[in-house]
Amino acid sequence: MKPWKYIVAVWMTVVIIAGFSIKIPEIAILEQTARNLFLHVPMWFTMMVAFTMAFYYSVRYLNDEEIKWDRKAETATAIGLVFGICGLLTGSLWARFTWGTWWTFAEPRMNLSALAMLIFVAYFILRSAFNDAEKRAKISAVYNIFGITTIPFLLYIIPRQLPSLHPGADGNPAFSDMTAPELRLIFYPAVIGFIGLAVWMMDIVNRYKKVKFISES
Amino acid sequence: MSNKFTQEPTRSAVDTLYADRWDGVEGAEQASAFIQFMASNDLIYVVLGVSLIIWFVLLFFMIRVDRKVARLEETLKENQSTEEA
Repeated sequence: MKPWKYIVAVWMTVVIIAGFSIKIPEIAILEQTARNLFLHVPMWFTMMVAFTMAFYYSVRYLNDEEIKWDRKAETATAIGLVFGICGLLTGSLWARFTWGTWWTFAEPRMNLSALAMLIFVAYFILRSAFNDAEKRAKISAVYNIFGITTIPFLLYIIPRQLPSLHPGADGNPAFSDMTAPELRLIFYPAVIGFIGLAVWMMDIVNRYKKVKFISES
Repeated sequence: MSNKFTQEPTRSAVDTLYADRWDGVEGAEQASAFIQFMASNDLIYVVLGVSLIIWFVLLFFMIRVDRKVARLEETLKENQSTEEA
């Protein structure tokens, strides 16, 4: 196993311990759930990084039509989707105890991110519709480039214009001066840690796919 | 200092059932340092403990799969080199 993976393992362990242990300021309504910032928000950051990687691999595939780029694009999309679904589920649980509901259709960010996840579920349904590997790779690369282009609009641009309970609405950034500075000390390392974890997961899946591909050909 | 999460000699309907076992621990002062630590700060460290257990099991699983794939890669490489020879 490569050394950076051990670093990710130790890094994440430290982040988890520190995230639970630091003293956080008392914030009305949020109370101890303010610590969810270290878990819920990095899910979306990691998803964004994974989809950006998938975008890059899809473009690479259309450039050189090498099947390895298709494998990598599929893996990155899958890992991105996993983190996105974790983001939706954790957000829903958090909303129950701060907004008082598991799900509300009045909340643009919630619904648009669910819609974004559906776009990537459709990606895997699309992939399963082809038997020919090259055809599958080409069409899913085109679809993925289209799909990832919608993400900034669905998750950032549109929700920011609309009134919402979620931080980062009404034209404001999600992270503002109302966020306690000590939370950032854990938040940014947590983002890095989860991205490292995602890259590690992609590495395992890609190597598995490569071995499978070679042993089948 | 005694707090609500260490056993105090109050008897509710439930803990009279286990009364003879619960008498052993009287307050936070007598509990071990580990128990005292875990019971502090509104039991947040219990959540930390649970999270760490999940994280370490997950990590163990990932390392195991990683090693299995590495072994598979090696056997594949060996097979290829023997085919070439």
